[in-house]
Amino acid sequence: MHRVLTAWTDRGNRIVPSIVAVALLLSAAKMGAGQEREDGVGDAGRVAFTTDVVPVLTKLGCNSGGCHGKSTGQNGFKLSLLGFVPEFDHQSLVKEGRGRRVFAGDPGNSLLLQKAIGRVPHGGGRRVAPDSIDYQILANWIRQGANAPRPDDPLLVDLEITPVRGRLAQKSVKQLKLVARFSNGTLRDVTRQALYLSNEPGIAAVGGAGEVRSAGQGGLFAVLARYGGRMAVYHGAVPFGDTTRPVPAAAGSTPVDRFLVAGWSRLGILPSPEVDDATLIRRLTLDICGTLPTVEEVREYLADRRPDKRSRLVNRLLDRPGYAAYFAMKWADILQNRGKGYSTGKQRAGTALFAGWIRDSLAANKPYNQFVAEILTATGSQRENPPTVWYRQVRTSVDYVESVAQAFLGVRIQCAQCHHHPFERWSQADYYGLAAVFARVGRKGGFADAEVPTNQVIYVKSTGAVQHPRTGRVIPPRPLGGPDFDLTPFDDPRQRLVGWLSGPGNPFFARTLVNRMWGHFLGRGIIPPIDDARASNPPSNPELLEWLTRDFIESGFDLKHVIRQIVNCRAYRLSSLPNASNGLDTQFFARFYPRRLAAEVLLDGISQVLDVPTSFPGDRGGKFPEGTRAIELPDENVAVHFLDVFGRPARTSACECERADDPALAQALELVSSKEIQRKLTDKNGYAVRLASNKKAHSQNIRELFVRVFARPPRPREEQTAKEYLESEQDRAEGYRSLLWALLATNEFLFNH
Amino acid sequence: MLTLAGRTFRNCDGITRRNFLQIGAPLLGLGLPSLLRHEAGAADVTRDRGKSLIVFWTHGGMSQQDTYDLKPYSPPEYRGPYRPIATKVPGVVLGERFARQATVLDKMSLVRSVHHENGIHAPSAHWMQTGHFGPTLARIAAQYPSFGSVINKALGSRSPRMPAYIAVPQAEAFGYQKSVFLGASYDPFEVGADPNAKDFKVPNLALPGGLALKSVRTRRDLLAKFDTLRRDIDRSGVMDGLDAFKSQALEMVAGEDVRRAFEMEREPDALRDRYGRHQYGQSALLARRLVEAGARVVTVNTGYWDHHNEVHKNLEQHLPPLDAAIGTLFEDLDTRGMLDDTLVYCAGEFGRTPLINGHAGRDHWSSCFSVMLGGGGLAGGTIVGASEKHGGDVQERPTIPLDVMATIYHAMGISLETHYEDASGRPVGIAGTGRPIQELF
Repeated sequence: MHRVLTAWTDRGNRIVPSIVAVALLLSAAKMGAGQEREDGVGDAGRVAFTTDVVPVLTKLGCNSGGCHGKSTGQNGFKLSLLGFVPEFDHQSLVKEGRGRRVFAGDPGNSLLLQKAIGRVPHGGGRRVAPDSIDYQILANWIRQGANAPRPDDPLLVDLEITPVRGRLAQKSVKQLKLVARFSNGTLRDVTRQALYLSNEPGIAAVGGAGEVRSAGQGGLFAVLARYGGRMAVYHGAVPFGDTTRPVPAAAGSTPVDRFLVAGWSRLGILPSPEVDDATLIRRLTLDICGTLPTVEEVREYLADRRPDKRSRLVNRLLDRPGYAAYFAMKWADILQNRGKGYSTGKQRAGTALFAGWIRDSLAANKPYNQFVAEILTATGSQRENPPTVWYRQVRTSVDYVESVAQAFLGVRIQCAQCHHHPFERWSQADYYGLAAVFARVGRKGGFADAEVPTNQVIYVKSTGAVQHPRTGRVIPPRPLGGPDFDLTPFDDPRQRLVGWLSGPGNPFFARTLVNRMWGHFLGRGIIPPIDDARASNPPSNPELLEWLTRDFIESGFDLKHVIRQIVNCRAYRLSSLPNASNGLDTQFFARFYPRRLAAEVLLDGISQVLDVPTSFPGDRGGKFPEGTRAIELPDENVAVHFLDVFGRPARTSACECERADDPALAQALELVSSKEIQRKLTDKNGYAVRLASNKKAHSQNIRELFVRVFARPPRPREEQTAKEYLESEQDRAEGYRSLLWALLATNEFLFNH
Repeated sequence: MLTLAGRTFRNCDGITRRNFLQIGAPLLGLGLPSLLRHEAGAADVTRDRGKSLIVFWTHGGMSQQDTYDLKPYSPPEYRGPYRPIATKVPGVVLGERFARQATVLDKMSLVRSVHHENGIHAPSAHWMQTGHFGPTLARIAAQYPSFGSVINKALGSRSPRMPAYIAVPQAEAFGYQKSVFLGASYDPFEVGADPNAKDFKVPNLALPGGLALKSVRTRRDLLAKFDTLRRDIDRSGVMDGLDAFKSQALEMVAGEDVRRAFEMEREPDALRDRYGRHQYGQSALLARRLVEAGARVVTVNTGYWDHHNEVHKNLEQHLPPLDAAIGTLFEDLDTRGMLDDTLVYCAGEFGRTPLINGHAGRDHWSSCFSVMLGGGGLAGGTIVGASEKHGGDVQERPTIPLDVMATIYHAMGISLETHYEDASGRPVGIAGTGRPIQELF
């Protein structure tokens, strides 16, 4: 193949009359398989629009989403996105643009080619050289009369990439090969006609001819090859270091550990050492209960000598109300329990019921499949059935599909609303089929005064259907990937959907939950982002994900069980400090990835350290009861500036990405000059004032306050620095205020690390 | 300028784009202690030469018929009481309450044919500030980022010490001047107080009661000593970004530069008087000071212009101050040689009904209204588009909000091919279908 490619290049400027035929001849000869033909895929020498011309348009980027492929086209010229609707593209090229786009009498003067080679001004610049194969394909097609797609044109039925997976050393090159199979049995090497994308160009980049080049960094990557509306994926791994010596397993390995160790060994990556008990209790308490450990809890845990103290701690934390409160907040984000509206009181009635229902479900450890089923199939009023409140924010076809897909199936199919998903198998039939599941959801009653109606009764109507937006055809309810549900008019399609979710062999539902939980505790999903599973976004440790998924199903969708499996694994106990081999690792959990405390957790943490609760405004001028914590608030519509600037989500989508961890100036200003923090530092019953008025030695206070803030004792140098500062400060109270403030503003406090 | 690589997203093109976080900090990866030390030594602050934008946002909707698009030949129930006055541009008239702007109209241009399809405040404010029809009370739809946030993301601040995007006195009430999915770093910094107030202080820079400036400096030094968590444990850019912002915030609160930009008393009384001793005038003057100090976008939020009743009686309160603010700003920018680098824009969510209603007021009107653009290298004195006889509809050159956005981005030097990703990773072009209004350039 290589020799042949060189021959093409050697032809230089010579015009090749039927380059398509040449390419075919070569590919067929090389592959030997399939039905060998010396002419085009279709009739002899004929350039077929769908299989020859459209791939060129895709390869050149003409029909990309940033250009003529976007819904409004570009400069009056519109193509279907990535060529998924060839009939439309042909119409657009041949019939529109006053016939100037193609000109059979003199192909070179066609606007299509003039623009493409930049001879007439083109916003997209010069896309192709006149002596290139791509140019020749287009020119030949025009010369032959710009033939339309024909019903008997061979269809592309399969695209095969070789190899499918592989391992590359750092700074090496690998040539991929791509073969298209057509409905008439013809095979064609389309390696040079396809479009390639790497999901991690920093690990390995891919060139236009399918050559993969690894950089000087280890990791996993995927290359997506796209041709004629089909795609194929190559999965590559670049080792970090020596892969000949396996990573030793630690004592007391769990099954999860074995998969992690296997992954590290495969990639030649060494895990960081395990953290000390102080760091671990802070991690566990923050991640399970959204709360800082108290001084007593830390001291007790450090003093505990029992061998199973860690799993005892995990069990204790899972039984605390903080677990249910914290995870209820997380689920209320995903389930969009949104309180914003004109009338806070009316909204709040529903959000409080739903928030309470979520919290109680988690506290009771309701099986996850049952939890989801009760939400998706909810009927009745919010008072008798609180999960109907989910239907308040989620109320259109678009909302149903995107929320269900993202929250419970871990896929983003938004793209398929308007066109075939560009790198997934999702079609508009999948999108609208899922929408049809909810087409008979009815609503009545409620307050509907020009705002999002609240307190509506949800019921199942006897009719309701969804039509394909382009063809107008009624689309029957079906799960993602089909087949259609077999329904009588008496069936609620939603019941069938939830049956499918937790049914045997569902590839999405349990995996998404497991991946979400892994992401919660380890800072990144095994598939990241956690709700964006795609062939071109592979899991970093597929065996681990598969095992956890199966284990979760076998446990009866037990949420606390999956949490135990995750936090009792070795990766969770690793230090975040990098070593020589894992400093660049962001995929294999060979060290702990630090992340910021959520807005609510941070505010509660400051309140706990300073021992002054936050006062939260309620509706009609009231207040939440004293001592209410931010993680316990029923919805996001509680006016607290601190929470807004630190990224509390608006709960308008099912994407966890709504909770922003972006740093912002407003956050830093809130730390520096916030009235709230200063109030907590000066409250007469607060911790800072108590330190100032107790008669203890500075050292004794310092040792306690470090544990209070960081869950660890001070290092000798820190104790010395703090002591020197406090002694230099005339005003003892001011001294403790400033010291506490400085510790609360450190990254060590602001992050879970 | 510092560019930090943030979260990666994937869009429908399959291209990995990094969410670049541009913040004003001297060096990357130094960690907070070094950053804080660095501040002290960084005497000379380099500013880039790019353009700035000052916006006058007429929240509630200003009446175009009484200001930028008079209809002197219409019946009284349309034209209202204001007489037309001649301007620096031959043949072009303004309403008589815009006498100061009339003298600098050769430096400003008017677009009299802007229109969109919504007549309610919030959705219209979203449309005019993002270019897109977004959420309404009955329509759950994604919110788009404001043009100020887009510019902030694309260009960043002109000075590492100044916030890039500032709202005076605060951001508009609907929340549509925000960055939404671009990331919280691109939200406006809200001044939070009226710069015309006698003891004007910036609440966000002001210290809470009982906290002395000296204490902040002490805290800053302590933080530098204790903030020792190793920075190489985080490869997401978040920790570096937070460090840079902490350093900037401490500098703003405890340092001199940013404080000084807000010290209105440093301006000569005569100039302060000429801008006018009212919120609009002093806000405009503050905007100029902030731009001088390195801000990229300053939005002056005026209003409330929602005059359903007794519109002209109400306009008597609003028009002279707005006129003094904008008119003086053009003079002042011109005198200082800043006009070519400072784009000035005045608009609101819509205009008001051509026909005066039964309460002597004018209601919401989005079928045809005017916006003003000037400076920033635009040609002055141009009138683009026209409304019909009584002003009800566009007569020539219909102009959509995205055209105005495209004009602003183009004038600021931002490529219209720039894309960002929405929450689902779909690419959204900053200008969409909008085209720059070529007549203005």
